[in-house]
Amino acid sequence: MDKEIKKGKEHPLSIVINEAVKIFTDLGFEVATGPELEDVWHNFDALNVPKDHPARDMQDTFFIKNRPEYVLRTHTSNTQIHFMEKFAKEGKKPPFAIVVPGKVFRNESTDAGHEMQFYQLEGLMIGKDINVANMKWVLLEFFKRFLGENTEIRLRPSFFPFVEPGFEVDVKYDGKWMELLGAGMVHPNVLKNCGIDFEKYQGFAFGFGLDRLARIKFNISDIRFFYQGDLRLNQF
Amino acid sequence: MKISYNWLQNYFEEELPEIEKISEGIIFHSFEVESIEKAGNDTVFDIKVLPDRAHDCLSHWGIAKEISAIFNLKIKEKKYKIFEPKPTKLEIKIEDNRCLRYMGRVVKNVKVGESPKWLKEKLNAIGQKSINNIIDAANFIMFDLGQPIHCFDLDKLESQKIIIRNSTTGESIDLLGSEKIGNLVKTRSILLKSNDLIIADEKNPLAIAGIKGGTKAEVDSNTKNIVIEVANFNSIAIRKTSKQFNIFTEAVKRYENEISPELCEKTMNAITDLIWELNEVEVEEIIDIYPTKAEQKEVSVSVDYINKHLGTSFLKEEIEGVWKRLNFEFSKSVNEFKIKVPYLRIDISGPHDLVEEVGRILGYEKISPQIPKINFKPKINETFYKILWARNKLLNDGYSEIMTYAFCNTGEVEVLSSASDKKFLRTNLSDGLKESLKLNQLNAPLLEMEQIKIFEIGTVFLKDKEEMHVAYGDKKGVKEMNLENFFHKNSSSEEHGYFSAEKFLVLASSRSQVSSEENSYSRNFKPWSIYPFITRDVAVWVPKGESSEELKKLLKNNATELLVREPYIFDSFTKDGKTSYAFRLIFQSYEKTLTDDEVNIIMTKISHKIRENSRWELR
Repeated sequence: MDKEIKKGKEHPLSIVINEAVKIFTDLGFEVATGPELEDVWHNFDALNVPKDHPARDMQDTFFIKNRPEYVLRTHTSNTQIHFMEKFAKEGKKPPFAIVVPGKVFRNESTDAGHEMQFYQLEGLMIGKDINVANMKWVLLEFFKRFLGENTEIRLRPSFFPFVEPGFEVDVKYDGKWMELLGAGMVHPNVLKNCGIDFEKYQGFAFGFGLDRLARIKFNISDIRFFYQGDLRLNQF
Repeated sequence: MKISYNWLQNYFEEELPEIEKISEGIIFHSFEVESIEKAGNDTVFDIKVLPDRAHDCLSHWGIAKEISAIFNLKIKEKKYKIFEPKPTKLEIKIEDNRCLRYMGRVVKNVKVGESPKWLKEKLNAIGQKSINNIIDAANFIMFDLGQPIHCFDLDKLESQKIIIRNSTTGESIDLLGSEKIGNLVKTRSILLKSNDLIIADEKNPLAIAGIKGGTKAEVDSNTKNIVIEVANFNSIAIRKTSKQFNIFTEAVKRYENEISPELCEKTMNAITDLIWELNEVEVEEIIDIYPTKAEQKEVSVSVDYINKHLGTSFLKEEIEGVWKRLNFEFSKSVNEFKIKVPYLRIDISGPHDLVEEVGRILGYEKISPQIPKINFKPKINETFYKILWARNKLLNDGYSEIMTYAFCNTGEVEVLSSASDKKFLRTNLSDGLKESLKLNQLNAPLLEMEQIKIFEIGTVFLKDKEEMHVAYGDKKGVKEMNLENFFHKNSSSEEHGYFSAEKFLVLASSRSQVSSEENSYSRNFKPWSIYPFITRDVAVWVPKGESSEELKKLLKNNATELLVREPYIFDSFTKDGKTSYAFRLIFQSYEKTLTDDEVNIIMTKISHKIRENSRWELR
């Protein structure tokens, strides 16, 4: 009998994460990683989220018992802050471009489209004149390579405290427009909070759910399949 | 917020664009439109006003201004009647700085009764019940201008004095309206704490400021004289108190998002005008206590700044057109505009905010994608590539990857509250991995795996740190260590060298990087059945040298749609000029639990088919 070891099967989320990261690194981005258990400075304050913002309610965020200033990160944006703080402290000057794939947490009841834990991918590009047109190019290029040449994108006005202007980005895939990511020009307060000269440098940030992307790509109906430890998921 | 098309039309001389056009305009230049519904001869949009525009857009006027800017339509500003007011005896005292402005006006000889048809229709269209003409008028103006209004029955007050103060412990208030508790309909009585902002007469609380009125000075069918309150309160104070008592009113929604105290004046004029229109009343002077007048902000922005951020080349004239469409007052120098920000636009504080105004009004579709002109020099992220390396190593060793929940029943780090019953964060991956092993061993026949071998790479949470771990195992046991140790234990010195030279990427080729097309585009996910499966084995002698293909085809063709996996060989050997192929068949239904009888019928048919081939022999 054949004694050669048969290769194991990768989790679909890993396939999607690696593929997304590969595209972004080809475009010049580098990967950054950051902690999943985070202080409120990096998760909220430095990102220009006001103290009384509804996102900071217990219903949405996991706060840590006996450590009032700590939460499970609600987005990968915390890693923007870590990266830029370190960057500025080391006396480095932009440009830079990073992507942050990672696990995030939301305190909400689960259903086919929502989980308490899921994966996000965050992107950040800062330079002297990085603008919305550049953001459009990067996102369009990413989705074309990820979903296919026919993919289109469009921007709609939106609001997130850490960007201005802020956008909702829709992606047209398989003839259907889907609201897939949030994005915008990094708010000057965020750059200032990290010690980056906001009069000289500017750029964009974006973030999207990798679980959602995996579900679209593989046509997986329920996000909860991802974390059951059931190998019947590993079909690809 | 619900917005009526007919109501909006009142703001314009010209006929508004058709419903779909309006909706599209709002979606691509302002806000999401969640639904469009017919309401009699009107149409109602449900508009999801963005949080930073809740200052000025939770009103028909606000949305009308957006439409005016988007479609470049001139808005018709309403002229209010100039009254010759009578002198007043009303006194207002603000004792707490959480009240930013308080305007009061006594109106006498009102006739409380049914509202006129047009008023009822407007309120009904946006889902509001008509109560009486005075309350309806106050509600109408709030939905029109975005400023909450409250009316008190003047004759029910202790005196003509209104005090805005802190509550004292032990005070209570019976709230207007009633609530249904089971089958009981009753008035809700609130016991105030020592720090709630209230509106009071000289004796009792009349209202929880900005949140809800009380029954003491309720306007009813006998009311003759009223006090109109148009006030402004600190947004954070309103949010806290409303949360504490769990009262969420339309007034709260506007106050908690912060509205400009400058809005009071227009609103007082509008409500007086409307009440006068409903029945000719006697209007007294306004008492206006406004301790600190809001300042009008000025923001400068240059044409270059805007184009540099949007990546556009809009002309000065085009940008100037945006200020005009938004009705912003401005002055200009050679290349710069100085904007006098309208009081209501609390969201605008710097040039970046004006970039957004230009971008969205002229249209984001006008921005063409442009490749960034920078040659980035990315660095390798150690953690990420060590994870990649570890994953590939384990995949190559025959382990399959799983992911499990970070939450569990015991641990060293606990979350304060959770939507689930698992409040602790995992301290290891092994527990989850063992559970997964059990689950997958039960499904082993379905998985076409001789042996279940799995791994997980993920974060664990220890008392004062988090760590990236790698765990892997099979039925013989599970091993777990941190990522660093896994790397050192399993990598060759050559691989170490690559890593330090930042050539690590060459080692980290993931399967998906090899051929993503084939792996991910061509196949759709197949969800699995929750019903148990039944396995049957069938072994057949065939002449030595004959392949198993024909037999497999026969099995596939006769096993019906209940066969959930390709038939696969789990054993084969050759003896005395014959080869034995043993195939495993797995049956499962997506609709029910299969019985042995059902599967036996299929197997009998298969046996018959095999016997029809004279070269074959069932074992």
